[in-house]
Amino acid sequence: MDFYLGLAQVIGVHTLLGLSAYCVLLTGQVSLAQAAFFAVGAYVAAILTVIFKWHLFAALGVSAVVSGLTACAVGFPALRVKGLMLVVATLAFGEAVRLFFFNFTYQIQAGELKIGPHGAEGFRQIRYFPEHGWSTFDVLMFIWLMVAIVMACLWWLDQSRAGAVMRAVGEDEVAAHSSGINVTAVKVLAMTIGGVIAGIGGGIFAHYTTHIEHVQFGVILATFAIAYPILGGLSNVFGTLLAVIFIQGFLIEGLRFLGDWRNLLFGALIVLAMNLRPRGFLDAGGVASLKRMLFAGKEGSGA
Amino acid sequence: MRIVNVAAAALLAGTMTGLSGGALAQERTVKITGFGAKSGVVRVFGVNSEAAMKAAAEEINKAGGVTLGDGAKAKLSVEFLDDRCNAEEGISVIRRIASSDAFVAVGPTCSNVAESLFGILQKKVGDTSDSGLQFPVFADVAAKGGLAAISEWAFRNVPSELEMYKSLFAWLKREHPNLKTIYGGVEKDFAHSNATYGVMKKQAEENGFQLLGTGEWLLNDTNFSTQVREMRRTNPEIVAISAHPFTTCGVLREMDRQGVKPKLLIGLTSSSSIETLQGCAKQAEGIIIPTSFAPVTPEAKAAAENVSKQGGSMDLHSAAAYEIMFILKDVIESQKIMAKPDTVQADRTKMRQGLAALKETKGLLGSVGRTNDREAIKPYLYVHAKDGSWQVLHKPSS
Repeated sequence: MDFYLGLAQVIGVHTLLGLSAYCVLLTGQVSLAQAAFFAVGAYVAAILTVIFKWHLFAALGVSAVVSGLTACAVGFPALRVKGLMLVVATLAFGEAVRLFFFNFTYQIQAGELKIGPHGAEGFRQIRYFPEHGWSTFDVLMFIWLMVAIVMACLWWLDQSRAGAVMRAVGEDEVAAHSSGINVTAVKVLAMTIGGVIAGIGGGIFAHYTTHIEHVQFGVILATFAIAYPILGGLSNVFGTLLAVIFIQGFLIEGLRFLGDWRNLLFGALIVLAMNLRPRGFLDAGGVASLKRMLFAGKEGSGA
Repeated sequence: MRIVNVAAAALLAGTMTGLSGGALAQERTVKITGFGAKSGVVRVFGVNSEAAMKAAAEEINKAGGVTLGDGAKAKLSVEFLDDRCNAEEGISVIRRIASSDAFVAVGPTCSNVAESLFGILQKKVGDTSDSGLQFPVFADVAAKGGLAAISEWAFRNVPSELEMYKSLFAWLKREHPNLKTIYGGVEKDFAHSNATYGVMKKQAEENGFQLLGTGEWLLNDTNFSTQVREMRRTNPEIVAISAHPFTTCGVLREMDRQGVKPKLLIGLTSSSSIETLQGCAKQAEGIIIPTSFAPVTPEAKAAAENVSKQGGSMDLHSAAAYEIMFILKDVIESQKIMAKPDTVQADRTKMRQGLAALKETKGLLGSVGRTNDREAIKPYLYVHAKDGSWQVLHKPSS
């Protein structure tokens, strides 16, 4: 049972990472910087709980703010470029952040041990959960509460005028600009919201893995971050969740018994999924069909 | 008469069924799960560990298997899971193993995975305020110093690199008093090689060698021309490379290409393997590496052959996995582990107690000491690459 609870934790945290990229993708931007914001959140939250002994909630709040501000600061210069240039710019930023943590050392003496990030060797003993008696189930509930809050906020945002504006920018930037929308502000806002979500996700990630190091926040994680919403579809937030379950739950954990074949199948199944559902698992057509199926009975009874 | 025959047949059938049931009860199997990297550039370590564990299990089974706490004999079987050298996957793997009837796990390969998964274990045994996982893990490969200190449920059978390089540099100072300068190279993004470079550098300086500089590269790098050019500029007498076989060979080939010929080469423990010889035997000629395994005893030679039959090769890491299987057998027997579904947590506690109580174990090169912080003190020797094979250069403990 503990294994499934642990797997659900992984899915929850990766959902947060995927949702951070979802926000940015809504405005038509492809960002490979989400892993960097995730890393900032992870290190900030871990430093606050381990070195400064803060409560986890406060630490996550600060990590969200710091990641959000970082995303905002990056958004202004980075979003002046578009398309592939933006991909390269955000990738470069992601690598810069990773290399910063690769060289970042900030340790204090705690008894016989030195604690804190130690460059390439990473940051160990981030044991807030076990040291405060949180069971695997408690951690799971906390993670999914965070996921639920973030998904609810994004769902509300999507239904609001702000969401319509973001989608308008994503659909046709020129048309949006022509109709008076401040495109730069919208893109920076989306990047900032994405940064906040990645900061929360990164903070939780640091605490459930108990050890973080620069390698974990490289290009592969950045690729996963944008793969989740692209594979899941951008019609609503649940697509990202579905994609995370598919990748983390099925491709990575579900196929582990296949041994060496798992890695070969991993790529092949993603290609297959993209071919079968080119607009994502939950595209607009799929959502409409689901609605028809779910509400057909009610319409019939009302007639 | 017919009724008597039927009754006799039924009795016989019942007896046979009972016997076969009893026999089945006697023929139990205990699964030992290993885990580590079987993907990516460090894949070979996982492959070798799995082969070593299987070879050891086969040896144990040939000798009658293991005696469980209820007196029943059991065969050992081995399952090996891939964690892709990824901390998150390592945690998932250990949770998966801990959710089964397993009472111990052997692994992982990578020190960064060990850091994370030792972190989710309970730090101090009996600490009710610590909700960490109560499951013994015995590491065979993850070699970064001091990892077992993270949790009292963590054990390692890896050599102390601090002791090995301390001894090696002191020996170099004695044997090569004319060599004064050294240049270091480090695979910077890998926890083990990076930490060990710190050890090498400190020991070199403490023994009076002058460090001329350090070249840095990453595990996935394939081009080393800049680092080697800088090395050539300083013209060192000794080059010490703290990197795994893949990049060690890359650097050695680049040194060959640029004509960098130091008087002495020193390598990382993990590079004293067949992969280095397969990748760059010519360029690695003469490289000196301290290691806790070489086929120099009859047991070590036999073990190396057995591992080879299982599709792996024996080096200091897979030798540790091989030894661990025999240690586990002894602990299962001494602690009277039952290996039954209803005794899982008790068996885990017994296994941890048994492992923690060990003061000495039998290793392929001789006795292995055990420290209070659950680490091993392994005998070691220096090997050097000569004519395409690893040959013993010096036995410091002898």
